[in-house]
Amino acid sequence: MTAAALTKHSPWRGLAPAMVGLGVVVAFFLAVELLIQIGVLNRFIIPPPSEIIGSFGRVIVEEQVFSRFLLTLGECLTAGVMLTVFGVAGGVLMHRFKLLQQACETWVAAMASAPIVLMYPLFLVIFGRNVWTIIMMGFVAALPPVILKTIEGISGTRKVLVNVGRSFNLTPAQQFWKILFPAALPTIFVGVRLGLIFALINIVGVEFLINFGGLGQLINELAERYDLAGTYAAICFVILVSVLFFMALEKAERWLRPVD
Amino acid sequence: MSPAPAPQPDDAILVVDDIVVRFETTEGTITAVDDVSFKVKPGEFFSVIGPSGCGKSTLFNVIGGLLSHHQGVVSVAGETISGPHKSIGMVFQEESTFPWRTVVDNVAFPLELVGMPKHKRIERARHFIALVGLDGFENRYPGELSGGMRQRVSLARTLASEPKILLMDEPFAALDEQTRLLLGDKVLQIQQQLKQTTLLITHNITEAVQMSDRILVMTYRPGRVKRIVDIDLPRPRTSEVVSSEAFGRYVAKIWADLREEASRGMRDEESHVLHHEGAAS
Amino acid sequence: MAETGRLRQAAVAAPGLSPVMLLRIAIILSMLAVWEFLSHSGWLYRDVVPSLLAIGSALAELFASADYYFHLSVTAAEIGTALAIGGLAGVAVGILLGANQFMSKAFESYLYYLGPTPKIIFFPIMIMWFGVGPESKIALGTFSCFFPVALNVAAGMRQIDKVLIRVGKSFRANSWQMVVKIYLPAMRHPIINGIRLGLGVALIGTLLAETKLSNKGIGFLIIQAYSIFDMPRMYAMLIVLFVLAIGANALVGRFGGLHDIKRL
Repeated sequence: MTAAALTKHSPWRGLAPAMVGLGVVVAFFLAVELLIQIGVLNRFIIPPPSEIIGSFGRVIVEEQVFSRFLLTLGECLTAGVMLTVFGVAGGVLMHRFKLLQQACETWVAAMASAPIVLMYPLFLVIFGRNVWTIIMMGFVAALPPVILKTIEGISGTRKVLVNVGRSFNLTPAQQFWKILFPAALPTIFVGVRLGLIFALINIVGVEFLINFGGLGQLINELAERYDLAGTYAAICFVILVSVLFFMALEKAERWLRPVD
Repeated sequence: MSPAPAPQPDDAILVVDDIVVRFETTEGTITAVDDVSFKVKPGEFFSVIGPSGCGKSTLFNVIGGLLSHHQGVVSVAGETISGPHKSIGMVFQEESTFPWRTVVDNVAFPLELVGMPKHKRIERARHFIALVGLDGFENRYPGELSGGMRQRVSLARTLASEPKILLMDEPFAALDEQTRLLLGDKVLQIQQQLKQTTLLITHNITEAVQMSDRILVMTYRPGRVKRIVDIDLPRPRTSEVVSSEAFGRYVAKIWADLREEASRGMRDEESHVLHHEGAAS
Repeated sequence: MAETGRLRQAAVAAPGLSPVMLLRIAIILSMLAVWEFLSHSGWLYRDVVPSLLAIGSALAELFASADYYFHLSVTAAEIGTALAIGGLAGVAVGILLGANQFMSKAFESYLYYLGPTPKIIFFPIMIMWFGVGPESKIALGTFSCFFPVALNVAAGMRQIDKVLIRVGKSFRANSWQMVVKIYLPAMRHPIINGIRLGLGVALIGTLLAETKLSNKGIGFLIIQAYSIFDMPRMYAMLIVLFVLAIGANALVGRFGGLHDIKRL
């Protein structure tokens, strides 16, 4: 008998917990609705959930949610491709040139904790009031985690695998492409995922701040028009985008890395 | 829940009565332990030996009060166990020292929990640290010690709570052979000195015969009592005793029983892997 | 023998000038040179890249003005409060989710998917609920840092070596003792990492909120400088801000006993 068979039995398989979770969330919204209708909560600060749901249709049609969604998505994808290419290349370079790594790795780590997004006025002036400001902000803010995780992945290859390569007299290039890089892929993926998260956050955030672009701008506009229900509805859309984006990311990851 | 008075046979300090443990798994109901009963006398060194999969770790968890989903009754000095009991001290198989506490803070842990004042518990802890031979290491961290030393810290920690019964689950399994032998000697010495009632779960026959007064041999799953063997060898169990003919006979006898069960276990595991795709442990 | 003698002499003659140090200095100097060149070249719109001298004097002005320290303390207080409230809530919720598989399966995915959403979009709501003062900034900061802390702690709970929990139970520790003497110390690394992440997002959230709508704080000063196109002043403030943010991050890491800031 395997311990695995014993522990595989979770008392909570099935839908019970998910249902309870969903139930609590729904109950919460119903309670809010009730409290607003009976006047305990101020409907000018918190619009009733029913009104918010009602404004979904309006927001979709009048505010061209889908084209805005595509714009934001496009920005994310562009930034995503850029940060993957440059981030991984940067990490590889830093690993290859040890001196560079020793000098700069801590700087890159420090940049990861620095609020780069605050430099948006600067980016605005350099790139102008167009999508490139937004894309570049997403790109720059998301670069550090990709670089760091790439370095971590490549240097973290188990010594024994490196020795196997050397025992077969592989050239440095072969050693890199056949052993180091494949071994580093899982960690690199983690870095790219983190980078994409940072990119999305920064992109929607900057759209909101400079009032330009896709979904971020929509929220800003609706808020400035005091369209409360619409603002809340737009926020829901952004959450939806975020959720879909990351679910898709997970599926892609699982497809590219089936063995784990 | 007040402890129900259990049947009071002879002078036993630990009574294990008709324990049955079943688990619901993805493959149906498994009976891990079936109708196991035995008694342990005060001051006795009692070992439970069996093949992998015989349920001895399950039994360990039941007696220690960490597993309450069972039939049957375990009682210590007349009191029924319904959860971890202050009269039972457990030493686990895995590394169990707290890496963020020094040795002395590790050993003083059970005393801290019951609110013993600091100077008193440090003093008490030092006593047990010296008992296991680690004096001088009080202010080190477990990370600085070897595996054998860490197990000694775990042992000292459990002894510091002065349990009536010391319950150990293969405490030497993760150690190399030489360390194991030395530590085994140490444990035996301490046990004799403190007259500590000890229940040892093990898979090592030589270890069991060397240390025990009696040995319970378990069958393969479902774990039942196959035989209880009285080890009638003189104490102290010097290397002379260990290399004696009588010792060898005991080992052979127990191995004969165990071998049968272990073979059954092996065949069962193999057929399990063959018939259940991807369920190998 | 003579080799080591010479090497030792060289080390004594130029202490601290390891190749790494030299490279770093070289990189910094060349970046500063490029900057200064761009500044005087006229390629970019005037003052987007002010000369280093201008930035330097703006920095000096900044440190000399009492006003600046006032705004700095406002922002620091907002971030500190946000981190305290959000951090404590995050740890508490994280422990609950990590300890109980049912709760985790029921609620954790909401946190997981809501986490990466940029919290600045909730700022209009915060303003409606808390007004235009520091409270709305604190609310946004709290909301921002709650998620990484809660998620890290929940994951940390599940990664605690199970045997340590059994030790606690075998000694009959009560729930409070389990949390304080076993769960929290065992999770010190994930907790510290969660707080560092939380600090980062609270910082960003609070500052962006200040740039959006405020009359106090560093964010306000930055956007004010931008609106009158006083670029040297804006750069000076950004530099100080970055240094402080990086410093705070390193401090938290050091406090948690983690000397390796390279680990994300």
